[in-house]
Amino acid sequence: MISRVGIVPETARLWVVRLFAMTRKELLQLGRDVPLLLFLIYSFSLSVYVSGAGIAMQLTNASLLVHDGDHSESSRELIHRFREPYFRFDGEVQDPDDGLRQLDQGTAMVLLDIPPRFHESIHGREPVSVQLQVDTTNAPQGLSAAAYAARIVGRFSFDLALSRLGAASDGNMRMPMVDSAHRVWFNQDQDETWFQSISHILRMITLFAFLLPAAALVREKEHGTVEQLLVSPVTPLQIMLSKVLAMTLVILAATVLATVSVLKPVFGVPIRGSAVLFLLLTALYSFTTAGLGLFAATITKNQAQVGMVALLVISPMLLLSGITTPFGAMPSWVQTLMALSPLRYYIDITYGILLKGIGLDLLWDSVLAMALLGGTMFGLGMWRFRRQFA
Amino acid sequence: MKTEPAHQHPALKPLHFDTVVNVSDFVKRYKKEVAVNGVDLEIRKGEIYGLIGPDGAGKSSLMKAIAGVLTYDGGAVEVFGTRVDSERAAERIKPKIGFLPQGLGLNLYPELSIEENIDFFAHLRLVPDKDVGERKARLLAMTRLDRFRDRPMKNLSGGMKQKLGLICTLIHEPELAILDEPTTGVDPVSRRDFWSILAELLEENGMTALVSTAYMDEAERFHRLSFLSGGKVLVSGTPTEVRALVPGSIVTFEATPQLEAIDRLKASFRQVESLGPLLHVFVDSIDRSEATSQIEAALGDLTHSSFRVDEPELEDVFVALLLLKTDQKEAFSSVSASAVGHDRDGFAIEAQGLIRDFGSFRAVDRVSFQVKQGEIFGLLGANGAGKTTVIKMLNGILLPTGGTGLVAGAEMRTASGTIKQRIGYMSQAFSLYLDLTVEENIRLFAGIYGLDKRSMINRYQWIVTMAGLSGYESSLTSRLPMGVRQRLALGCALVHSPRVLFLDEPTSGVDPIGRRHFWDILSRLAREEGVAMLVTTHYMSEAEHCDNLALMYAGRIVAEGSPADMKRHIEQEAGLLFEVITDQPSQALVRLQQAGFHGAALFGTRLHVFCRDPLRDKACACQALEDSGVRVISVNERPLSLEDVFVYRVMALERIEMSAKQEAAA
Repeated sequence: MISRVGIVPETARLWVVRLFAMTRKELLQLGRDVPLLLFLIYSFSLSVYVSGAGIAMQLTNASLLVHDGDHSESSRELIHRFREPYFRFDGEVQDPDDGLRQLDQGTAMVLLDIPPRFHESIHGREPVSVQLQVDTTNAPQGLSAAAYAARIVGRFSFDLALSRLGAASDGNMRMPMVDSAHRVWFNQDQDETWFQSISHILRMITLFAFLLPAAALVREKEHGTVEQLLVSPVTPLQIMLSKVLAMTLVILAATVLATVSVLKPVFGVPIRGSAVLFLLLTALYSFTTAGLGLFAATITKNQAQVGMVALLVISPMLLLSGITTPFGAMPSWVQTLMALSPLRYYIDITYGILLKGIGLDLLWDSVLAMALLGGTMFGLGMWRFRRQFA
Repeated sequence: MKTEPAHQHPALKPLHFDTVVNVSDFVKRYKKEVAVNGVDLEIRKGEIYGLIGPDGAGKSSLMKAIAGVLTYDGGAVEVFGTRVDSERAAERIKPKIGFLPQGLGLNLYPELSIEENIDFFAHLRLVPDKDVGERKARLLAMTRLDRFRDRPMKNLSGGMKQKLGLICTLIHEPELAILDEPTTGVDPVSRRDFWSILAELLEENGMTALVSTAYMDEAERFHRLSFLSGGKVLVSGTPTEVRALVPGSIVTFEATPQLEAIDRLKASFRQVESLGPLLHVFVDSIDRSEATSQIEAALGDLTHSSFRVDEPELEDVFVALLLLKTDQKEAFSSVSASAVGHDRDGFAIEAQGLIRDFGSFRAVDRVSFQVKQGEIFGLLGANGAGKTTVIKMLNGILLPTGGTGLVAGAEMRTASGTIKQRIGYMSQAFSLYLDLTVEENIRLFAGIYGLDKRSMINRYQWIVTMAGLSGYESSLTSRLPMGVRQRLALGCALVHSPRVLFLDEPTSGVDPIGRRHFWDILSRLAREEGVAMLVTTHYMSEAEHCDNLALMYAGRIVAEGSPADMKRHIEQEAGLLFEVITDQPSQALVRLQQAGFHGAALFGTRLHVFCRDPLRDKACACQALEDSGVRVISVNERPLSLEDVFVYRVMALERIEMSAKQEAAA
C-alpha cells in the first residue's frame, strides 16, 4: 500500500515534467522564428486596425448622377435630399444615355432620372414617377443604395402630401400614421468598426490556432525529430498536448495584444462581460481548432502541404460560421452544416461577452456545443497520430 | 596559367593537353560564409576524378559551379575550353554535361515508372527516338533494372533509385558526368555495383566523371582525387601519390588492458584507434620491424598479440594530413567514469526468434542475438534487410508478431514504457532541434527523461565535458560543425545514463578526425561504464569498431561473429584478397573475369581479386593477364575489409535466390 502511494505521485510528477519540458521547447522554437513572430504580431495589431477602419459595409459616398429633365424648384428639392454620407452628388448629365454609360464604366453607382414637367405634375396633382437606375454588381451596396433612394423619394412624396394636407387644414396634422422608433442595443452608435475588428480577430485566432500547432508537428516530421521523441518516454498525447498548450498560450497573448493595442484604445470597443471568461473560452476554442490542425498535420508530409490544407479547411469554416453572413440568411442545409463549425459558437460567445455583457448562464449551450465538437476533433487528431507513429 | 598547389607531387604534369575541366582559385561565398576558398582543380579526359570530404567541405558548391548552375565569387572555371562566367557560356557547355544532384532520386519523378523517367530525360535532352530505345536497353541491362521497367520510381530501393538516377543523367551520352555523392545512403553491394557500372560506361563512351563522396574508403576508386576540408584542397593527386606524402605503416594488434594501452600509445603516436578488441596505430616508419619495435617500446610491460603491419589506407593518410595541418592532437580529454558502479554481467539485449509480419510480407524472420553489457554490437544489412524493423521492436515502438526480447531487463512485449525510459537512441544528427541552443537541447531531453534539478545539473556538466561542448553552450545547434552536432546528439541520448544505447549510422557525413573522436568516446563508454551499444549502419568503417556483428539479409541473420571471425570465414571460403596493379586495368578486369575470377573488381586503376589457393591462383591470374598482353606491375596481398565481407556474403545469397527463382520458373 505504501509503495503504491509513493509511485502514483512520482508518475504524475514525471508526466508534468515531460509536458512542461516539451511545452517550453515549443515556445522557444516559436520565439526563434522571427518572420512568423512578426507576422503574428502584425495580424493581431495593424491588420486588425486596417480591417476595422477600412472595411465598411455601410453605404457611403455612393456616386450619384442626375439627369434633371425639369430644372425646377421641386426637382432641385428632391436632388438635395440625396445627401452625404450616403450619397455623393457627382453632377448632372445632359443625356440619360451618357449616365448609363457611366454606370457601365463603374464611375457612377446611381442614376436618378427626373422627367420633364415634374414640378408641374406635382402641383397639378397628377401622379408622377422618377426613374432610379442602380448598379448592383456589388449586391449589398447596390441593394442598400436602392433601398435608401426609395426611402428618400418616399419621404419626399410623403412630405409633399403632408404640406398639401397642412395647407388644407391649417397645419394641424390629423391623419392616421405609424411611426417606427428604433432603440439600438449593444452598439448604440451603430459603430461598424466594432463588428469588423472583432470578426477580424476571430478570423486570425482561427487561422493561427489551426496553423501553428499543425506546422510545428509537421516540421518535426520533416526534420525527423519526431522519431527521437517516439523512442523516448514521451507519449503521443504529450507530444500533441505540448504543441496545443504552447500555441494556445501564444494565441491568448496575441488576443490580449489586439485588445489593448487596437480594440479598446482605437475603436473604443467596450468589454462588458468578464474578460477572464472570454480568455478562458478563447483558450477552449483554440484548443478545439488546434485538434483539427493536428489532424491535418498527420495527413500531410510538409509545411507547404499543411498551408494548403489550412486554406481548404479554414475558408469554408469561416464562411459557414456566420462571420460574414448572418446565420438566418443561409439555406437550411447550410444551417445544418454550420452547426458543425465550432467558430459559429465562438462567435456567439465573443459578441455575447464583449458587447452584450452576458455570462455563462446564457452562453452555456454554445460553450457545451463547442467543447463537444472540439473534444471530438482533438480525439480524431490523436487517433490519427497514434496510428501513424505508434 | 594555373598554379599548382605546393604540396602536390612533383611527378604530376602541370598542364595536360586533354584537360576537360580547369578550375583555378575558385571562391564561393554564401552571404558572409566562405564555402569554398581558393580551390584549384584539373580534370583530364577519361578519368574518374574524386572530390572527397566531409559534409560542408565545399564539394557541392564546386560541382554545381562546374555544371554551370551556380554563380561564384572569385577565380575561373573552364569547362571544355569555355570559360563558365555567364549564363550564355553555361548554356553552351550544358549539352555536354550530365549532372546528378545530391540526394537519393531527387532528380527523378516518384510517380513515373523507370521507363517513363528515362524517356522524360531523353526527350528533355532531345535524344533522337531511335537512339533512345537502344541506349535505354543497354543501360537497363547493365544496371539490371530491365525487369522493373514499369515500376514507379517511388517503389524502388535506394540502390535502384541511384542507378536510375545515373541512367537519366547519362541518357544523352554526355562527355562529362558530374555526380554529387551518388553513393551516400546506398548499401555496400549497390555501391560496388554503381562503381563497376560507372567504370564500364567510362570505358565504352570515353566519358569523364567528376564524383564526390563523403566515404573516405571510396578514395581508392578514383584515378585522381582532391581531398577537401573547410573549403580548401588539403591534398590532391593519384591515390599512390597521396599515399607517398605521408609514408608510414599501420600496425594492428590486441593488447590488454586496452584502455591502458591506448593511453600509453597516445603519448607517442598521433593516430591510435580501437576497433573492437583490436588497436590500430599509424607509425611513421615504413620499415616493418622498425614500426613494430616502436610499438613494443611504447607498450612497455603490457601483454600484446602478434603484430600485423599493412600499408596505410587513404583514410589514415587524410587523418595524418589533417592532423599535421591543423596541428590538432587526436587525443581528447578522457571521459570521467561516473561515480555509480555498474554491473557488467548479463545481457543488455536478448532477442529470441523475433518475427514481424506486415500483411503477408515477413520483414523480420526468426532473428536471435545477444548483446552483453559493455559490448558494441553491429547490425548490418542493405536497405530493406529488416534492420530498422528489428530496432523498432527492440525500442518498444513496434510489437513483434512472434518471439520475445529483453532490453535492459524489460520485456519488450509488455514493458515498452520501461524500455523507453532505460535506453538511449541516437540517429543521424538531424534528430536534434537545430533552432535550439546546445543547452536548451540538453535541458529538453533532461526534462523528457524526467531528471530532477540536481541530477540535471550533474549530467549537464558531464555531457559538456564528455562531448567537448564547452564554449558552445549557447550557440544554436544549426551553427555547430557536424562533428560537434553529432557529439551533442550523443550527449542528449545519454542524458539519463542509459545502460543500452542504440546508434543508427551515427557518424555519416562527419570528417575523419571527428569520427575518430566520436568512436573514441563510444569505446570508452562501453569499456569504462559498461554501456551496451547496438549500431546499425551500412557504412563499413563504422562496423569495424564493433566487437560483434550480425549481417541481415531478407529479414534473417545470415552471418554472425566478430569482425575478425567474419573476415577469417571469408578467407577460408573465398581465399585471400590480392591487389593487382597493371598497365591496362579495364582490359585486365575483363580478362580476369573470363579466366574465372568472378569476384574481381576495379578500384580506380587497381584490381582486387580473391585467390583461394594463393600460390597457384596468383600464378594463374598473372598468366592469364600476360597472355592477353596486359603487363602486371605488382601483386600484393591486401587485408580484407568488412565491405569485402558484406559484398561477398550478400552477392552469394543473391545468386542462390536468383537460381532458386529460375528453377521455380522452369
